[in-house]
Amino acid sequence: MIDPSNVLEKVARSLGRTSVLTAPPTPPELPEPLVRLVHTDFGLRELFAKRATELKMLVEPCYTEELPDKLAGFLKANNCRAIGMNVSKLLNGLGLPQSLRDAGLDVKTWDDLTLDSAYDLDAAVTDVTYAVAETGTLVIRTDANHGRSLTLVPKVHVAILQPKNFVPDLLDLMERLVKDGVGSHVTLISGPSKTADIEMNVVIGVHGPLIVKAYILS
Amino acid sequence: MATLSLPVAGDQNTNAFLHEAAAAKFDFHSVSVKAAGDEQLKLAVGGAVTRQDASRKMRMLDLPDPDAIRQLAGDIKQHTLDHLDYYLHQLGTNVEKNGGVVHFAKDGAEAKRIILDIATQEDTKRCIKSKSMVSEEIELAHALELAGLDVVETDLGEFIVQISHDKPSHLVQPIVHKDRKSIAKLFAEYFNTPYNDDPQALCQQARLFLRDKFRTSDLGITGGNFLVAETGHVVGVENEGNQRQSVTTPRVMIALVGIEKVIPRMTDLAVMIKLLARSATGQPITIYTNIYGGPRDKGEKDGPEVFHLILMDNGRTEILASEEYRETLRCIRCGACLNACPIYRSIGGHAYGSVYPGPIGALITPLMQGLGEFKDLPHASSLCGACYEACPVKINIPKHLINLRRDIVERKINHPIERFIYRAWAKSLKSPLLYKLNTKLQKLVLRSQAEEHGGWVTKLPSIASGWTTIRDMPQPAAKTFHELWKDR
Repeated sequence: MIDPSNVLEKVARSLGRTSVLTAPPTPPELPEPLVRLVHTDFGLRELFAKRATELKMLVEPCYTEELPDKLAGFLKANNCRAIGMNVSKLLNGLGLPQSLRDAGLDVKTWDDLTLDSAYDLDAAVTDVTYAVAETGTLVIRTDANHGRSLTLVPKVHVAILQPKNFVPDLLDLMERLVKDGVGSHVTLISGPSKTADIEMNVVIGVHGPLIVKAYILS
Repeated sequence: MATLSLPVAGDQNTNAFLHEAAAAKFDFHSVSVKAAGDEQLKLAVGGAVTRQDASRKMRMLDLPDPDAIRQLAGDIKQHTLDHLDYYLHQLGTNVEKNGGVVHFAKDGAEAKRIILDIATQEDTKRCIKSKSMVSEEIELAHALELAGLDVVETDLGEFIVQISHDKPSHLVQPIVHKDRKSIAKLFAEYFNTPYNDDPQALCQQARLFLRDKFRTSDLGITGGNFLVAETGHVVGVENEGNQRQSVTTPRVMIALVGIEKVIPRMTDLAVMIKLLARSATGQPITIYTNIYGGPRDKGEKDGPEVFHLILMDNGRTEILASEEYRETLRCIRCGACLNACPIYRSIGGHAYGSVYPGPIGALITPLMQGLGEFKDLPHASSLCGACYEACPVKINIPKHLINLRRDIVERKINHPIERFIYRAWAKSLKSPLLYKLNTKLQKLVLRSQAEEHGGWVTKLPSIASGWTTIRDMPQPAAKTFHELWKDR
């Protein structure tokens, strides 16, 4: 730590200590009834769908076998030709890169993409790390197989959700993040990018995707 | 290095306020009187923040016990402040474990120097900056521009502030004082395109312009809403996606954050997130919550190669040292107290003469910058308590404003004439004879004055004239209480 003006020592002195405290203090307990909004593991997909829809996310439950057709149809309907995907066991297992190519789309996975080329994509199709039912939030821990720009710069983001992705509450998400590791970057996505800066008019699609779609696999 | 050329534009009203606010001696009275007389400003700001306040109140009802969770959030922040040395050290150690570089800066000048050194050392050409109050506090963008760096504010509101040479007037909605017509006019001039005041079209225009800036940027600067000591991460919330850009595209990243932003654990973040967006904009959660720390991991193809965290003091340790005022550092900059405040609704943010306006600004501006110049701000409150009721971390703002008023008296910062009048008043209240004389005299002088001005005392004589420059008094009753009592 670079501290030429001894700010840290000044903090300690301001608190009446002669040196920086080294014994860990005990932070307040977080009473579950106060903090937790979702108390059950049942109906998480339905709750997620309800909340995410309120945030202008498009949510559609989907059987695995019908996904390739539905997805290709959705992308074409939104004029998306150049498609990026993260390198994903789930997406590969579903045969998605190939089925979308067969449907005439230009599909590249993250190993064939760069930050700069991501800017030229029309849409990203990705899996997610978690999905929070309480808030209808997609959570992605980015890594070598899943670029940060993938779900940020294209105008359409399609997320494929599995039952195992769901956590009930933000509290559960934070516990999972500590347990599984945060990595260098985790992003929580709760709908399409928006602003209300001009006379409080809500405008969808500022710097992030204009359309966020979630297929929930059963 | 190329410098951004920015056209001179902006509404004249705003610029006039700013000019006065920036004058060597800040005069809250004249600036606020002017602001309160601006009906358009009152309509725009008052209307917008009143709606925002209503949606906050509705959204808080999602929570099982809104009052108790506010108390909990306040307790978490207070605990962290009481042990801030421990948590800052823990945070710094963990950021370094994540591969980041940690700097402490004692003030704005030191923070700016660190940033310029990094920009020079890394030879960066284009900086994209996301919205951050702490950078407004030290006028960072301006300083970097002066040093020859190409700096682009990327939050839509802040971008508009930048190209109109304005200042933000709200913690969360920087351009709440601007109407769409003035923004449309500004864009037409800046981009040299036909006038169009459709918000959708204006956003599209900014999106396209800024997208190119993002793509070619090599330095990203963000603030931070929270710092998680346990894991060494910065947390930022936003709706637009421009902050995500700052942590995605540039190869060099700097987070500049106040030392008071630390929370102990990741689970504390759940409490804070649940309260922050609800209090700020009436949303259950912002569109994006970004949790980041350190440079990109091995194999990652985007995200920064170099990550710096600057922890800035700039007057915070002085507040920390006061057990009485320490709790004001709990503030999470949600702006709920501004939206709830009848004074802010009438005069807007610029009149406070500080980047931190509203009730919390009236409190922390004098604490951070000294009571001398800002001695009027603690009086910019009706003490109605709406701010305390709105605060998600339960800072007792009215109590502290009264304490500051006490400090003004104790430290003899108020005007000598004011002190003389109060001393004389106290004397007259202690003596029945003087009291009777005083009330008789007041009645005599003020009643006749009020009769000439439609039943209101609008101008007190000589030394007391300051009192009536910003308020009228009703006509005193025909009979004093003593007289009424006698006649009963």
